[in-house]
Amino acid sequence: MRSVVVGLVLMMAGFVLVSPVSAEVSAKPQNNGLLDAWQILEKSAYAARELNYEGQFSYVNGENSRIVDIKHMNYGGHEVARNIVLNDSNREVFSQGNDIVIVQPTNKNVMIKKRRGKNLFPAMLPTNLNLIKQNYKAFIAGKETVADREATIVELVPNDAYRYRYMVWTDAKFGLILKMTLVDGNNKTLEQIYFNQLSMLNSQDLNWFQPKIEIGKEYVTEQPKALKHVDDDLIMTNLPVGYQQIDHIQRVKSGGSKVDQLVFSDGIGSVSVFIEPMTKGKRPKKGVMPMGSTNMCALVTNGHQIVVVGEAPARAVKSIAEAVSFKK
Amino acid sequence: MKNQLSALIDGELDPQEAEHLFTALKVDAEMKEAWRQYHLIGDVLRGSVDTNQEMAAKIMLALDDEPTVLGVNKQLQSTAPNPNKKTFQTPLFWSIAASVAAVMFVGLMVFELELSGSEEMRPIELANSLPMEYLQAHQSMAPSSAAYYIQSANFTESE
Repeated sequence: MRSVVVGLVLMMAGFVLVSPVSAEVSAKPQNNGLLDAWQILEKSAYAARELNYEGQFSYVNGENSRIVDIKHMNYGGHEVARNIVLNDSNREVFSQGNDIVIVQPTNKNVMIKKRRGKNLFPAMLPTNLNLIKQNYKAFIAGKETVADREATIVELVPNDAYRYRYMVWTDAKFGLILKMTLVDGNNKTLEQIYFNQLSMLNSQDLNWFQPKIEIGKEYVTEQPKALKHVDDDLIMTNLPVGYQQIDHIQRVKSGGSKVDQLVFSDGIGSVSVFIEPMTKGKRPKKGVMPMGSTNMCALVTNGHQIVVVGEAPARAVKSIAEAVSFKK
Repeated sequence: MKNQLSALIDGELDPQEAEHLFTALKVDAEMKEAWRQYHLIGDVLRGSVDTNQEMAAKIMLALDDEPTVLGVNKQLQSTAPNPNKKTFQTPLFWSIAASVAAVMFVGLMVFELELSGSEEMRPIELANSLPMEYLQAHQSMAPSSAAYYIQSANFTESE
């Protein structure tokens, strides 16, 4: 019965598992000694996706912190990973390729939610670093030990004040990111994420790649509401240099009103712009709000509520909010 | 339901969608208390506590003039040591006054919201009313965001 339920859950989640091509572990030690800072970062981006590893990491942002168990495998060329957020509800995040499925237990049921793939820790960097190279300079900043492993530190220094500085600790042997911090213009660390323990796996066993089953609880699959959309009336002028639009979707709120969401990225930091027409009886939002590394800015332009949220300095978030205008 | 109540007070929820909240407010003592507390918090943040205190005082005076509203039963009246004593000193009075006040505030708020549709509305400062739905929508779409691991108390990931 249990396996039937598990099978059903995985089927609902849209997973299609492939047969293992090879049982070889892809973790092969290399020496960082001859690589420059950009090559080290590129190696770390690939290492996070190609290696088999498990461990536990901490994430600290402002006053919030979480501990997450992670297990990652490259299974015959396909990435599979499971993150269990240990605080609160033991939320399980499964990812396979570009699909993410979140299994979220609540008091009444277990919600299954599909999300688009993203660069989760330690795969925080894209494998194509070109956009980051346009906006940051990279330097090797020394060596340190993280989670009992030797690490090379690479510093990503922004070209201007519209983005944060990043410090990246990469495993000296395997290249994996062991720690990453985000630092503001006043040298204050706003966000950090780091392994407490990490070990390389020498197995291709996939029994762990299934959610915990809670007998007696109903499994409910969330219905996606977002749809693709392009709004011709919208123009962005005077965006901060280096931020490129990477997505545009339209969301439908519970009351039926529509909200456009545009996502901008400078290669590592990203910012969302929400645009919705002001409606009768709706009070406008305005002002700015910092939350750890995330900044939020709200204003009203031409009868539209603009809300901008992102992991970028307040001045970048504000500039992006002010860059929204509409064709007359 | 309390989250919806909070959203209604913050102007996040369309009053036309909140009929069930008004019904609940009339019958559920816990909801009334929540309503009162949310309003008080909002008033403190907006620095407008005095306004509502004046309103509450007016309601008290109105109730004082209309003792029958209290619905005190005959037995209570007959055992009262002094029939002319102001009944607002008893706990019963306060609870009824509070419920009447709650209903009046509901009416008042709906009225204000309808009026304000045709006028320049007072904006809500982000710091006073953090719209978490934008934060979660951003985190669900951002290509890389470690903040994805953080779930606040009212972060439900619903979209």
